[in-house]
This record gives sequence, C-alpha cells and structure tokens, in this order.
Amino acid sequence: MFRKFKIINILLILSLGILSCDREQEVKQPPKVVTVWHWMTDRKDAFAELAQQYEKKTGIKVNFELYAPSDAYTQKVRAAAQGDTLPDIFGILGEMRDFASFIKAGYVEDLTEEMNKDNGRWRNYFFKKALEVNEFTLDNIYGVRPGIYGVPIDIMTIQMLYNKRFFRELGLDPEQPPQDFDEFINIGKRIKERGLQGMVSGWAELWMIDCLANNFAFNIMGKDKVIKTIKGEIPYTDPDWIKVLTLFKRMQDEGLLYNGIVTFINKTAEQLFANEKAVFAFNGSWCVNVYKGMNPNLDYGVMLPPKVSDNYPRSIWGGAGSSFMVNAKSNVKKEAIEFLKWLTEKEQQIFLSKTTFNLPANKDSVIDIHPRLAEFADDIEITTHPRLWGISEFPRVIEAFDKGIQSIIIGEKTPQEVAEEVQEIKERELNKKKLSRSKLVGE
Amino acid sequence: MNSFFYYNAKKVILNIIIHIFLLSIAATCLFPLIWMIGSSLKTQQTVFRDFSLIPKEMHWENYYLAWKQGGFGRYFLNTIFYTVSVVLGIVFVSSLAAYAFSRFEFVGKNLIFYMFMAAMMIPIPGSFVPLYVLLNKLHLRNTPLGYILCMINVGLSTSIFLLKTFFDKTPRELEDAARIDGCSKLGLWWHVALPLAKPVLAVVVVFNTLNVWNEYVLALIIFDSRQLMPLQVALTTFQGEFITQYPLLMAGLTITAIPVILIYILMQKYIIKGVTQGAIVE
Repeated sequence: MFRKFKIINILLILSLGILSCDREQEVKQPPKVVTVWHWMTDRKDAFAELAQQYEKKTGIKVNFELYAPSDAYTQKVRAAAQGDTLPDIFGILGEMRDFASFIKAGYVEDLTEEMNKDNGRWRNYFFKKALEVNEFTLDNIYGVRPGIYGVPIDIMTIQMLYNKRFFRELGLDPEQPPQDFDEFINIGKRIKERGLQGMVSGWAELWMIDCLANNFAFNIMGKDKVIKTIKGEIPYTDPDWIKVLTLFKRMQDEGLLYNGIVTFINKTAEQLFANEKAVFAFNGSWCVNVYKGMNPNLDYGVMLPPKVSDNYPRSIWGGAGSSFMVNAKSNVKKEAIEFLKWLTEKEQQIFLSKTTFNLPANKDSVIDIHPRLAEFADDIEITTHPRLWGISEFPRVIEAFDKGIQSIIIGEKTPQEVAEEVQEIKERELNKKKLSRSKLVGE
Repeated sequence: MNSFFYYNAKKVILNIIIHIFLLSIAATCLFPLIWMIGSSLKTQQTVFRDFSLIPKEMHWENYYLAWKQGGFGRYFLNTIFYTVSVVLGIVFVSSLAAYAFSRFEFVGKNLIFYMFMAAMMIPIPGSFVPLYVLLNKLHLRNTPLGYILCMINVGLSTSIFLLKTFFDKTPRELEDAARIDGCSKLGLWWHVALPLAKPVLAVVVVFNTLNVWNEYVLALIIFDSRQLMPLQVALTTFQGEFITQYPLLMAGLTITAIPVILIYILMQKYIIKGVTQGAIVE
C-alpha cells in the first residue's frame, strides 16, 4: 500500500516538475522599452511615427516623452540626474561645460567604440561638423575623457536670405545673389532708391549680431587671430577688428539695414521677412519651417554672407543642432544605442527632415530634402561655433562688443570708440582673472 | 452762486479725469484679453498680417482643434482635481496654523513663523531639484499626491501671513463669549474664527487657485506620465522650438482662462473686502 503511494507520489512530483519546466519555458520576457525624453514639440508626431515603425521592425517599444518648453526640460533633466532617474535616452541643453559635467558624473555613455565599429560605419553617417559638437578631443579644457558622447539628430547653419521677388523688382538676377561686400553695397543703393527696406534680423538678441560679426572676423583675420584676441594676445583695437566694426557702419550708411533692426527680436524679424517687408534676412536654417507657416508663398533664396576679404575663407556659425545622449546607467543601453543608430539612418533622417523641416544630421539625406534646406546644408563644411573653439570670451566683453555694434548702427558711437571700450573691458576682465589666479596660488 | 458752480465744475472735471485714468487702466488690462480672443479666431497666416482686433473671417474651428489636439479633456479634469485639493489643503492647514500663531503661546512660535515668512522669499525654481530628490526618496514622484503636497507647501507661507494678520486684528472678546458657552479650541477656530475670516479666505482661495491653475513647470518636473499632467501643459503642444501655432495657442489660452475669470467674478465682492479689511497690515 505504502509502496504504491510512494510511486504515485514520485510520479506526481516528476509530472509537476515537468509541467513547471514547461511553464518556465512558456513565461515570456516582457517587451523591452526604451524611454526617450525630449523637448522638441514640433517633432512630437514624427518621433511617435518613427517609434511605431521601430516597434514593428524590432519588437522594441520606444516611448518618446515630451517635456517642453526647453527651460522646464533642462530643469527636469538636472533634477532626474540628481535623483538617478534619467531615462535611457535624453538630451542635454546648454553649454559644453554642462554637457561635460553630466559626462564626468557618469550619466552619459561613451559612444566612440560604437561609432568606430565596422570601419566607422555609424560615424560616417554624419556630417563631420554635426559630430564635433558631441565630441571631446584629447586636449579639451573640461577634463573629459576624449570620445564621442552624443548622437546628432539634426544640424543648423545661419546664413543670409533674399527675397527673389524684390530682386526682380530691383533689376537683379534672383539666381545670382551678391557674392562680395561691394556687390552687396550696390544693392543697398538700389534698395534706398526704391524706398525698400534692406536686411532684417533679430539684433535685439545680441547673439545674432555676434554671429555675423564673427563671420566677418573669420573672413578678415582668420580663426587663429580671433582665438588670439580671445586669449588676450591681440587687442580689439587692432585694425582688423576696426574693419569688422566698420562693416556694420557701412551697411547702415548704405541703407542695407532695416530701420530699427537693433530693436527686433528674431520672431519679429522673421515676421517682417515672411510678410515681404525686407529684401534680405539673416537667420538660421530653422527659418524654412517658420516662413512656411507664416507665408507659404514666399519666394526666397539662401546665400552666404558676402565675402568681405580675400585673406581667409568665409566661415558661418552652424553645426550645433539637437543631439541625444545614452544614459550610461540604463538597463537597456544596447537597445538604446541600436535605436539611435536606426534613427540616424538615411531613410529615417529624410522622414524627419520632410516632416519637421530641419536639416538632417545624416549627410546622405540631403539629396531628398526641401530645396531651401538643401541650400542651407550646402555650406555645412564651412561652419564653426564658439562651442568648438576650446576657449570662450568673457561674457562682459561679448556684451560690450555686441552692444557696441548696436551703438554704431544707431549712430551713437564710431567703430574706433567701440573698439576702445571693448578693449578696456577686456583688460579689466583679464586683470580680474589674473588676480583670482594669483589668489588661488597664494592659498 | 458762483462758488456753487465753481465746486460743481471742479467736481465734474475731477470726475472726468479720474474716469479717463480708470478707463485707460481698464483698457490696458482688457487689451491683451481682447487680442487673445481676436487672435484665436484667425489663421496661422492672418495672425501675422491682419492686425485688427476683430478678424474679418472668424475661424471658430480653432477652439475645437485646440481642444482636440491639446487633449484638453483629460488635462481639465486633472487641473480641477489638483486645484480643489491644493486650495482645500492650503485653507485647512494655513487657517489652523495662522490661528495658532495668532492666539497661542508656545516655544519657538516666532522662530517658526519667521521661518515660514522666509520661505516666501525662496523662488520656486530654486527648490525644484531638492523637491524632486525628496519626492523620489518618498516614492511620491510621478504621483498626484506628491504634486498636491508640493503645491500646498508653495501656497502656505503667504496664506498663513494673510490669515494671521487678520486674526491678530479680530477682537478676542468674541472668542471669550464662545469659550464661556463651552467651545473647545478647535470649536473656536471652526465656529468663530473661520466665519469671520471669510473675506481673507476668499483672497487665499483666489490667489492660490490662480497659482495652481497656471502652474506647469513643477508638474513637468515631477510627473513622467502625460496622463497626470495639468492643463497648462496642453498649451505647450502649440509652442514649437521655432514655430508657434498662435491661433490654436490663443484658443487654448482662452479656454483655460475662462474658469479662472469666472471664479474671480464670483468672488470679486469678497476679494475687495478681504484686501481692504483684513489682508493689509495697518
């Protein structure tokens, strides 16, 4: 009796064991989810569509979570970093030093190895300039281990735009924008005669003035001399800097600047150009989307700021667009990287560009994008950005320089006076820096 | 007779000047509101071209589109829930605290009160990161309770200050009479102090309602789930990085402003009383 019972028991245990093994095999792993935090309201729908496509293709769900405006987003990312709750993929807005502090705290994955795999397959997707802003070189001043820490999603360049209808009215060829400063000045004379308004831009926002002034400075004296000036080795009273400042005075005197240009924020300037109130504009590649919304029939072209010297090549601001970083502590790091690789492939980049009118970071995508965007993309290789110079000017000096240009435009000061004032502030700031350094050494 | 005309004329001229002044103030207050409603009825193109306050073609569909695209339904319910909970919480805690500060003597009374007042000086963005870390440790992040507690905390200092100032000026004799009738300390607060403080409570309610109704930055930081977000977040749907859908944004703003305007109109009588009678330190 007991023997029979024992056998039944053994059989029961064995069958339960087999069943449980089967059940273990049946238990499905929950689908992997990659969470992305972003601030790009205008790309919300496009990202959602791409996430759906990716899930269909790989079975991996990607959650794009939008937190806008960008100020609130920045606060959220900082708070999440403190609370160790960063998502798998996120973006860092702000200066290079903010980016560096996230890396040094161990929140950002080094993507160099992934980028260089298979003879640099992933790295080769991108415009060189698009990657530069996500890369820390060997001699970076932030003390970050050299490497690539971000994946560019899009890029931008800041150039000049011209209204083709006005060009025809002025007897100019709309396919031949001015190449050098003299041609530009000659158009100014025609603009004045016809009672039109010249160039509009958001020059109440100082950084936009700084941008054009730097374009001119790079063309007149070259990058090395600009960097030497920032280092304090060359004064702002140098004749080349006076030349840069004088160009703004000439543009004003020759009727090339819109009346009251220094009082406009960029949104107002965009509105004026879109409503055909100005012949020229100075704006970033994002304007293609803006003008499309304000006036879909606007007929305009993109041109480089006119050449002001033959000494050095022209240079424009650009390169830096939106980038994503991978959380180094993420549980789905591998999946997050794979998703970013897919997102930056040609097809997805074309889709993003066509739906959101941003310049794609993938260099092979520019063949199939909006023609105006393609014009902006043409000049990406000559872009530069202060974030990449490895040294930054004192904020007070930048402010004095840009405000000085405003004063020149409104006729308050001469280029010489502005240069002297800027140099005075520069020297004061350099002395302060020296003093604080010597105090530190003393301690 | 001459002096009669002189004084009458003086009165009329003075009245005209005062009315012109008040009308111009009212116009500056109303203009943005009218502009908002006018723009909400334009198209994305006409908003940059047609600067008239009343557009030639009214696009009422903007309201429907704003409601639908912004997902206002869910957010409206969330905001109503947060506003009611936070305002009730603030009224309850601040009235009890203010009554205690005004009537009772206890160790560290002044120190605690000044600490509350000092909290008024700290700008809210300065406390975002510590709040986030604290809520995370308490497992209250991404929960309505966490957000409500934070918002109650934000509104407490000013409300306590307003109510304490009022209670300090209320005659104690009224409470003595109730005490003789056998009223407890809580009973005195409920039956005597609170009914007397109605005008100040109205001010507390309106100010905090406005504060919670318009808040979104803290919500964005605390919440990960879109389902929990308040109404103001819906408005960010229309604000792109470089481009803003102004007609939809203005329609959304009009929708979100209506409840607050209604509350203000309904409680206007109490607010004026509250501000003039109780809420100002003499």
